[in-house]
Amino acid sequence: MNSTLKNILRFVALVLVQVLVINYIKIGGYVSPYVYPLFILLLPIGYSRAGLLFLAFLLGLSIDIFMGTPGLHAGATTLMAFCRPAIIKLVSGIPNNEPQKEPNFNNMGFDWWFRYSFVLLTIHSVSLFLMESFTIKLIWQTLLRTVISLPVSLFLITMILYLFSSNKKRN
Amino acid sequence: MYAIIRFIQKYYFTLLFILLEIVCIVLLATSQAYHRQAMLNVTNNIVGRIYETRSNINDYFSLGSQNKLLVEENARLRQQLTALSDTTDTRVLTIIDTTYEYIAAKVVNNTVNESKNYIVINKGSDDGIEPDMGVLSADGVAGVVVNVSSHYSVVISLLHDFSTVNVELADGENIANLKWETGNYRYGMLRDISTHVSLNQGDTVVTSSLSYIFPEGIPAAVVEEMIPSPSGDMNSAKVRFTTNFATLRNVYVIKNTYKPEIDSLIKNTVAG
Repeated sequence: MNSTLKNILRFVALVLVQVLVINYIKIGGYVSPYVYPLFILLLPIGYSRAGLLFLAFLLGLSIDIFMGTPGLHAGATTLMAFCRPAIIKLVSGIPNNEPQKEPNFNNMGFDWWFRYSFVLLTIHSVSLFLMESFTIKLIWQTLLRTVISLPVSLFLITMILYLFSSNKKRN
Repeated sequence: MYAIIRFIQKYYFTLLFILLEIVCIVLLATSQAYHRQAMLNVTNNIVGRIYETRSNINDYFSLGSQNKLLVEENARLRQQLTALSDTTDTRVLTIIDTTYEYIAAKVVNNTVNESKNYIVINKGSDDGIEPDMGVLSADGVAGVVVNVSSHYSVVISLLHDFSTVNVELADGENIANLKWETGNYRYGMLRDISTHVSLNQGDTVVTSSLSYIFPEGIPAAVVEEMIPSPSGDMNSAKVRFTTNFATLRNVYVIKNTYKPEIDSLIKNTVAG
């Protein structure tokens, strides 16, 4: 499939899954996982850095429009995208020799994927928490929610990736 | 000049990042927390329609339980009707209270996970809904309308850290304030209870006559446990909301037909 088309579909699908399904997960009111950062995680390693930032901003803003929180998710996702090139370098320790490669666990190995997504999702969650705590006074509850939601997000993202990539491998 | 262009070329990634973050922070700072959901005033267009489609699909999965809720409510209302017709002597003039009108609406979007939760319903100004109208579920208090567009309204849920509902305790005299203090969406706190009042577990607190947003006597919460104040001035109590916000589907918006009159009276008094 054409990679631009694939990215557009992935963008729309992840936003819809986030706002129509994942946002309705209610476990005692303490878990709010986010799966939409998967889009940023999966962009090819050598993707234009400016494009990365713009897409991240657009992605976050789309989520914000649905959730009624202008700037919150856009800010966190942009920060995450900003850190991505450095994290890729840090995690793999090698220069990007295959810039077209998608950084998923089939291509890079599970260990690599886990470190990569864990670090970037942590950045996303923590910045979301910090930006949220400027506007609310309930720091501890938000912190607790962040700490609980992070592993759930990581799990869901890996599951989604697994569901969609295992088919390709079998073919 | 050349140096500036070279600088931008060299650091465009960082500069672009800073620029985008500034946009985000400005957006975040200018959208006041209380009116954030005003953004959902775009509910009329694509976002509203997407949420409504979702809720239409989702409704099928809760038909059984929602039916049960409505049947239970029907039974309750029938019982009240019987009680009323028993007491009303036919010779006595029947007085029909027309203070409050009820408008049925459907929930299209609702959250319970945030510290500020809002409910979006599928009735708006075209259906006669205005800000500051109370919203009830079949089981009790749900929230207050804050924002309306022509076909949708945004309701500040009881699960919002700015929400406070004036309630009466079981004896019908003592007033206290019902608040949600985040965390679990089933439980809230009853504040400012006078020390001479004793509450028992299972007591129902109802909306007070002091509010003209809600009719008097609508159930709001059930007492779970009393929390005596350490300084001995005002007691608190942990309560369970009668409304289950996680499964909220059908609501009633309450229109107080005398509200314009009350408003202008208050305005005149304050101005005078």
